[in-house]
Amino acid sequence: MTDTTPIIQMHGITKRFGGVTALRDVDLSAYAGEVLSIVGDNGAGKSTLIKVLTGVYQPTQGRITFEGQPLVMASHADAIQNGIDAVYQNLALADHLTPAENLFLGSELTTKVMGIPVLANARMKAEATRVLHDRLGVTLKSMDAATESLSGGQRQAVAIARAVRHDDLRVLVMDEPTAALGPQETARTLKLIQVLKEQGLAVIVISHALDDVFEISDRIHVMRRGECAGVVTTAETTSEEVLGLITGAHKAA
Amino acid sequence: MTSTTESSNGLFGRIEPFIGILGPLVMIAMIALFMGIVEPARYFRVSNINQILLDAALYMPMAMAMTFVITQRGIDLSIGSIAALSAIIMAFLIKQYDVPAGIAVIICLLLGAAMGLLNGLVITVFRVPDLIGTLAMDLVYRGFALVLAKGLVLARFPDLITEIGRGQVFLFLPTPVVIGLLTLVAGYALLKFSHFGRYTIAIGSNPEASAMTGISVNRHRIYAYVLMGAMAALGGLMLTGKLNAVQATSAPYFNLHVIAAVVVGGTSLFGGRASILGSLAGVLLLSMMINALVTLRIEFFWQSVASGVVIILSVAIYTWMQKKDRDGSAGLGSLLANPDFRKIAVLTAGLMAALIVLVVLGLLLASPPV
Repeated sequence: MTDTTPIIQMHGITKRFGGVTALRDVDLSAYAGEVLSIVGDNGAGKSTLIKVLTGVYQPTQGRITFEGQPLVMASHADAIQNGIDAVYQNLALADHLTPAENLFLGSELTTKVMGIPVLANARMKAEATRVLHDRLGVTLKSMDAATESLSGGQRQAVAIARAVRHDDLRVLVMDEPTAALGPQETARTLKLIQVLKEQGLAVIVISHALDDVFEISDRIHVMRRGECAGVVTTAETTSEEVLGLITGAHKAA
Repeated sequence: MTSTTESSNGLFGRIEPFIGILGPLVMIAMIALFMGIVEPARYFRVSNINQILLDAALYMPMAMAMTFVITQRGIDLSIGSIAALSAIIMAFLIKQYDVPAGIAVIICLLLGAAMGLLNGLVITVFRVPDLIGTLAMDLVYRGFALVLAKGLVLARFPDLITEIGRGQVFLFLPTPVVIGLLTLVAGYALLKFSHFGRYTIAIGSNPEASAMTGISVNRHRIYAYVLMGAMAALGGLMLTGKLNAVQATSAPYFNLHVIAAVVVGGTSLFGGRASILGSLAGVLLLSMMINALVTLRIEFFWQSVASGVVIILSVAIYTWMQKKDRDGSAGLGSLLANPDFRKIAVLTAGLMAALIVLVVLGLLLASPPV
């Protein structure tokens, strides 16, 4: 299931904001073709952790390696360039644009007409349809409707497609992917995560929903008070044990 | 995937995307019908239709640019003063310094763009909210115009200027109408096929997400104000040519007239929804309405009442439609069952009644035919 070398690895990451230590000496590794869940209480450091992982924050101490090579990211754009992207809880879509326009927002395809760059709308639409269908198995009823008219799950598919559109994407971080979805849409999103995993991505999911976590993840990384409270293999654990790690009632072996 | 959109596939669901353009078209048809019954002879004369087009043409370039500004959730309340100031400076260049008309026209447009740039910088760099920022800049530009021109009326300009304002070289269409339509076509192309157009919608739709994808939000907001400034200067130039005269107090009604036209045309004041075609329809609607008031010999000042009521009505209707969008409720049918809707319906009926009362008042108080 997993390779022996992790795609991305964090070594002893500490992040301080002034006097507050948000992360203390955290290690994390994610493998290709694996779903790693990060769970923890509010304020346990999950968000800070993924922001460091996706280049939004720079660690105070510690280092990150990408396929064994040291990786320093100055910004989120750096992370994307290195094949790491994130899908945020609010999805960060422009609701009045079509799915294709959202997929290519900020990096539009153009053709030159008399030396002037002109948006290649038809090409972007075809490409977006292909990415949604081939990579995610999603076919939207209309590619011309505004994104706001789509269901929550479809909107999420668009947000994921925007990340996987880059062929060199290796690590996808998803923040609370099922938090805003109904049961049917949740099931679809979990299936989508499964698909991405089978395509060899390292998928890192932050979630509060333990049921979902147990259904999709291979390993569970528990955060507590800015530290790693333990990493467990999903097949070898119970929700009681994970809950214990989250609350601190149970110490990792 | 099943989706919530499927349920709204009734007749209304299919029409809904076009309401932005349908709304003003229906109102245009209503005005035409009303005038066809009341004053067909005078309203539908070729010379009167020409008059309507000439009036509408003046606002087309500004409505195009305002569509971009409003789509980005911005507003520009300084365009009347930009028009006046850039036209006054152009007039002085021509009359006092004997600058060739062609060069003066280009300088006029560049001046407008520079004033727009200043607006954009005030809003993005100094972070003054657009409403206050452009309102204050309106005072500044108008003040400069007054300082420069004092009470002077500058009149009699070279042929190039009057040609732009009221010429008729293109067969049956007046030159300003051709210029106005060309700017609208250019605006449409800009909206659909340029980065600026795409990012304008994205910024209006979700500024934070746009910034996260690496779009330089402030730069594109400044672009919109620069375009607005240049088009306001073009409006001032066209007005100068049309009247063959300009003074510091010219173009006082540009701001609300243009905003009204754009909003009536379905461009949302809350950002993200742009319709250039709707803006054209809005401009035509307002010109037809004002011309109808004139044809009916209703006093000039009622125009301002009518424009104000049109703005309130259209914003209220579009806001209601957007709220419906967010609720995720499907067609019009489910809305009729909604108690909230009844309150809005009552309010709308009240507003309509008030409008009718105002029009009747206007008719009664109208000054006798001259």
